[in-house]
Amino acid sequence: MDSQQAAISSSDVNQWQRISPIAIVYFMVKFVYGLLGNVVYLAPAILIGYKEVLANPHIWLPVALAVVLLLVLATFLSFYFFQYRLTNDHIEIRSGVFAKKHINLPFTRIQNVKLEQPIYYRPFGFTCLQLDTAGSAKQEAKVVALKVNFAEQVKKQILAAHKAKPIISDEAELQSEELTPEADNEILLNQRSLKDLIIHGVTNNRTWIFLGALGPFFDDIANYVVLFFNDLGIDIENLLTFADKPWWQIGLYALTLTFICMLVVALFSIAGSIISFYGYTLSKVADRYIRRSGLLTKHEVTMRLARLQMVVRQQDWLDVLLNRINLKFEQSNANMQNIQPGAHNNKIIVPSVKPNECQALIDDVYPHNQMMDISYQGISKHFLIRNIIYILLPVFSILIGFFTMVGKTNVLAFIVPLFFVILLIIFCRWLRWGFAVDDNFIYIRKGIFGVDYYCFPRYKVQQTIFKQSWFLQRKKLATVRFVLASGAQDIPFIPQKIAYNLIDDALYEVESSRKSWM
Amino acid sequence: MATQQQTFSNQTLLSTELPAIEKLAQQPIEAVYSSTNRIINLSITLFFVMIVLVIKYQSFIEISAGTEGVVVKIVWAVAALSLLFTFYKALADVRKFYGLREQDISFTSGVIFKKTVSQPILRIQHVELKRGPIDRKIGLASLQVFSAGGAMHTFEIPGLKLDDAESIRQFILSHKDANHHG
Repeated sequence: MDSQQAAISSSDVNQWQRISPIAIVYFMVKFVYGLLGNVVYLAPAILIGYKEVLANPHIWLPVALAVVLLLVLATFLSFYFFQYRLTNDHIEIRSGVFAKKHINLPFTRIQNVKLEQPIYYRPFGFTCLQLDTAGSAKQEAKVVALKVNFAEQVKKQILAAHKAKPIISDEAELQSEELTPEADNEILLNQRSLKDLIIHGVTNNRTWIFLGALGPFFDDIANYVVLFFNDLGIDIENLLTFADKPWWQIGLYALTLTFICMLVVALFSIAGSIISFYGYTLSKVADRYIRRSGLLTKHEVTMRLARLQMVVRQQDWLDVLLNRINLKFEQSNANMQNIQPGAHNNKIIVPSVKPNECQALIDDVYPHNQMMDISYQGISKHFLIRNIIYILLPVFSILIGFFTMVGKTNVLAFIVPLFFVILLIIFCRWLRWGFAVDDNFIYIRKGIFGVDYYCFPRYKVQQTIFKQSWFLQRKKLATVRFVLASGAQDIPFIPQKIAYNLIDDALYEVESSRKSWM
Repeated sequence: MATQQQTFSNQTLLSTELPAIEKLAQQPIEAVYSSTNRIINLSITLFFVMIVLVIKYQSFIEISAGTEGVVVKIVWAVAALSLLFTFYKALADVRKFYGLREQDISFTSGVIFKKTVSQPILRIQHVELKRGPIDRKIGLASLQVFSAGGAMHTFEIPGLKLDDAESIRQFILSHKDANHHG
């Protein structure tokens, strides 16, 4: 390790360095994405330009040349003005053509180190190094093109910088940190096969990736679909009007349509899952967990165990049926700006694992946890009373009354089943909601048809909120919210006394143990 | 470690003797905060009412009866909302309390839906003093407390005397200096 450190510092990295010219490709791609993303604002300009070109066909060449020239100039300038420097335990980055940005990050403030390898870097062996900081300063640094080896070395050096930081906890803990060998003993914890990813795609909706991109074209798509069916001799608009059709026929059409839609959605979801998680590996070096995955852009996310805020064991109803679990390791949420679909910047997700694999991973991360063994205390029946009697019944009574008055009684055939479905949902949600505590952790169980388990160490709590409305006060019930760096979790409708105890214990643990949350 | 145990002797106490949030001694914010807000909100309401009257009874500009009717209705609605808001704020502002203990700071607010936020000082990322133009006139300030929970989970104690706010901020900062992390 020391020799590696020496290798980095002794080279002329202490001077301002330019990145490799291959970064121009990166900036070009980013520019194009930027254009596409802002197409709404550029649309007027494009329209005008298009009209001009139609009017004067011979100007398309100079215009195209001008656009290309602009593109080349912009990306070259972005590359030219990008410089970085590594000094003792600091990284500095100067970037920006017009709006100059100078970032100076000490290694100790870096919470996350990520390596991202876009597909066009792969043949050349380059990667992007992304650094995130914790806290509210929200600084983010991305060195856009580094050789993979060099990036790995920098990453190691940054992660090693944390070992020097004093951790004010048990002396025993401090000693064990020093003794841990900085070996390259990367232990493979989990891998996801293509079959797992397909299962994940089926059970989870990654469709938003595609739906987001398709949004502007929905209208055209609808038109296209109508025309398509017209060509087949089916007048779909006529089919879809149901003023004079028998109910069973309408029902059949609706069902078929729903199945087709679900199939399409599932296919997109599977594709999304494969793009995000292809070649997924989760491994561990000392106290760091490393996730690598990605089909087009290869992502590598490293998380130190101390950064872990909460473990989430998540199952949708479909996951329950297939007996698979999505395990999430959540970190601080402070840097939510750089959201790329599939990057999952702030959590490590292990998609669609089997229960025994899941338990092994949870035990690896939190050795003393009892997430699945401990008995959960439910929430008050008043949750049902409030939601059903005070909210659901009045709303539906009004709706039913309104539609009967207006004479559209056939809508009732839709509303009444809906009422029962919502009733079932509320009941299941009440049944699932539970909590438990032991010496180290707080456990919360939630869900409707699926089940989600949340587990976090008490000392990671950032803030507690005690909520009690007039109505809850009369019943001596309350809602507790625990705020962690990764987000908040609620336990509603529990006895007031228990709520106070939960909060008092959490505050006491945080304040007396003085353990750092990261 | 030894010094920690000497200064923090809570570790051997029974749970019934732990600090309890239920018994937290909280103090109200400055009364002038609420009264000033009332005046401002009432003025705004009256302003909207005046606009309505002006529109209805003025004779400078020709407006068709239809448009006038619609505009008048809208402004009445806005005035009514403003009045409701004034009433609500009058109730809400007097129900804001804060409590400072050695290790944490709490803030209680809410009329029907009461909530108490408690933040251990150890977990405070930073504190800021916020003063709007009205705050400056009446000598008040708001204390903004930032945790690592993100922008959604910061809370703000309004209506503090400037000196009080400054001293709380100073207390928090020196508490954090003595501990070096969080």
